[in-house]
Amino acid sequence: MNRDFRQIRLEGVTRRFSDAGRAAFNAVSGLTLTIERGEFIALLGPSGCGKSTALNLVAGLLPLSDGSIWLDDERIDALPPEKRGFGMVFQNYALFPHMSVVRNIDFGLRMRGMPAAEIRRRVADVLKMVQLIGQENKLPGQLSGGQQQRVAIARAIVIQPPLVLMDEPLSNLDAKLRLETRSEIRRIHRDLARTTIYVTHDQEEALSLADRIIVMIDGVVQQIGTPQEVYSQPANLAVATFMGYRNLLELDVERSDGERVTLTGPDVRLTGTRKLPLPDGRAWVAMRPEEMMVGDGAGSANTIAVRVDAVEYCGRDSLLDLRTASGHRLHVRATGDYAAGTQVHVHVPVERALVYPQA
Amino acid sequence: MADRVAAVPRALLDRTMAPMVPATLFMVLLFIYPFLYGLLLSFTPQHGDWLANYRKFFTADNLWPTIWTTMRLALPVTLINVGLALPIAFKMRSKTRYQRFVTTVLVIPVSLGTVMIAEGMLTYFGPKGWLAQIVGVLHLYDGRIHLTHNYWGVMISLVISGFPFAFLLILSYITGIDPALARAAATLGAGRSAQFRHIYLPLLAPGLAMCFCLAFVQSFTVFPSAVLLGAPAGPTRVISIAAYEAAFEQYDYSLASAIAMVMGFVQLLVITVVLASRSLFYRGPAVGGKG
Repeated sequence: MNRDFRQIRLEGVTRRFSDAGRAAFNAVSGLTLTIERGEFIALLGPSGCGKSTALNLVAGLLPLSDGSIWLDDERIDALPPEKRGFGMVFQNYALFPHMSVVRNIDFGLRMRGMPAAEIRRRVADVLKMVQLIGQENKLPGQLSGGQQQRVAIARAIVIQPPLVLMDEPLSNLDAKLRLETRSEIRRIHRDLARTTIYVTHDQEEALSLADRIIVMIDGVVQQIGTPQEVYSQPANLAVATFMGYRNLLELDVERSDGERVTLTGPDVRLTGTRKLPLPDGRAWVAMRPEEMMVGDGAGSANTIAVRVDAVEYCGRDSLLDLRTASGHRLHVRATGDYAAGTQVHVHVPVERALVYPQA
Repeated sequence: MADRVAAVPRALLDRTMAPMVPATLFMVLLFIYPFLYGLLLSFTPQHGDWLANYRKFFTADNLWPTIWTTMRLALPVTLINVGLALPIAFKMRSKTRYQRFVTTVLVIPVSLGTVMIAEGMLTYFGPKGWLAQIVGVLHLYDGRIHLTHNYWGVMISLVISGFPFAFLLILSYITGIDPALARAAATLGAGRSAQFRHIYLPLLAPGLAMCFCLAFVQSFTVFPSAVLLGAPAGPTRVISIAAYEAAFEQYDYSLASAIAMVMGFVQLLVITVVLASRSLFYRGPAVGGKG
């Protein structure tokens, strides 16, 4: 396998599943993407969106129904997984239960027929990198979840693959270990600069690790962008909903002036920002709970009168469950004491109220 | 000190032990008692001292060779059954369109008794059977086909009746192995045969040993097909036939018990060797993580 590649290209990668008696559906549909060498790509989406399928297609564990995968000028989608030489970290680790830590890690090197001295040197290096010195001869069953995870990562990177694939590697760890392993993965990626595709449903993981995020919903790529772009400028309503824009109001378009749009409802009048062309009639406003504030906006613009329905105390702040007079529900993060039943005002900056056409 | 003495009977009468009673009774009445009875019986021969039966077995020319006669059948049959079942079960491990059909066809012989199989084989493989006639009509082979009333007849019938057990057993072991392990091995550069050698085979080894033991015991105790399909006076005079003759033709229950004890001991020996080799292999769960 060519290790001095410049880029990996996915062109119209599609995977159709057809169960007997049911209509065929596309688990992954027309995935087109160019990954530069050394990049960390996160494939982000809700469960069942096809992101793991996409990873298996790249790994060669599933055949493509359509499209092609290229490593520079070499077409690789017909190669079996053992010929692609991509390192993969599985969600349940898939460590070989009958082999010691060292045997698990050096498995890929042994399969390549590498000389024993070189194997020892590489395994020693990688053991140091994932901090597993002293655990060499234990079986996977004798390790904690976090240690197993590190063996899985070591096993995938020791073969120095052109591409590392990670399938929700942190989802089986507890909250504390997840944070630690996340920084570990970031450190390893910084040290080795290995091109990585990382599948996750956790937006925080994707935002903190990736150079670029690919948001996938229902097998279709919705947005490709930097973490900042995906977080603050979701491409469409579906991405916004997934990225935590919990406050969604369907309103009438009153006036449109460039990117500025003013919308009205029975007891709401909001000015927001749009990225997509809007048809006349109705549109959606999407707002994050943490980007709305309690109180009046400047000149009472973008202010909504609401009643506090419930208060969820979260430590650093509280999540307020609010309702407008006409019954629209809103969620706002706020510090301070609020009692259920009180009337308050909330407001949102014009540039943080994102307006989308109907899905 | 007094407390300690009192603690023992209380532990024995622990209520949680109650569900054990039926199984224990069952074992005692139907296994331990008959076994001990037979063992004692074998040491009280009709003539001679207490070891006379065993001395007779290991000196009489029509008795001790039955061990080898039986072994000559049971070992190859066991190897064939386990050896055939392993690759077929491996092929059938993932759900395919044909999996259910093939599995059903392979398992059907389980529902047939040995006598039924023997009857069928006599009609099919006999000198005037379908097979001989078809081969004769097509002039594929002009000699006589001898597949019944000899070693091969017994062997074929033992494969027919024993294969489904080996197959089902191995299939259940194979499907218990997390397929992600083979996928992980593939991404690390292992082709199909390397995946089988490094992942499936070591994880299956303890199960194969168990399967070997069960298949061996099943064929070592062969009786009906050795009589119906074999040559019970000669090449297929297996050890159970010797025991049967002693008991029901010579009415020497004591000698018959001794033969049965020898038979049990030989089986125990083979099983011990095979199961002891299991300790060389990993025997934990065959999944690779917290899954």
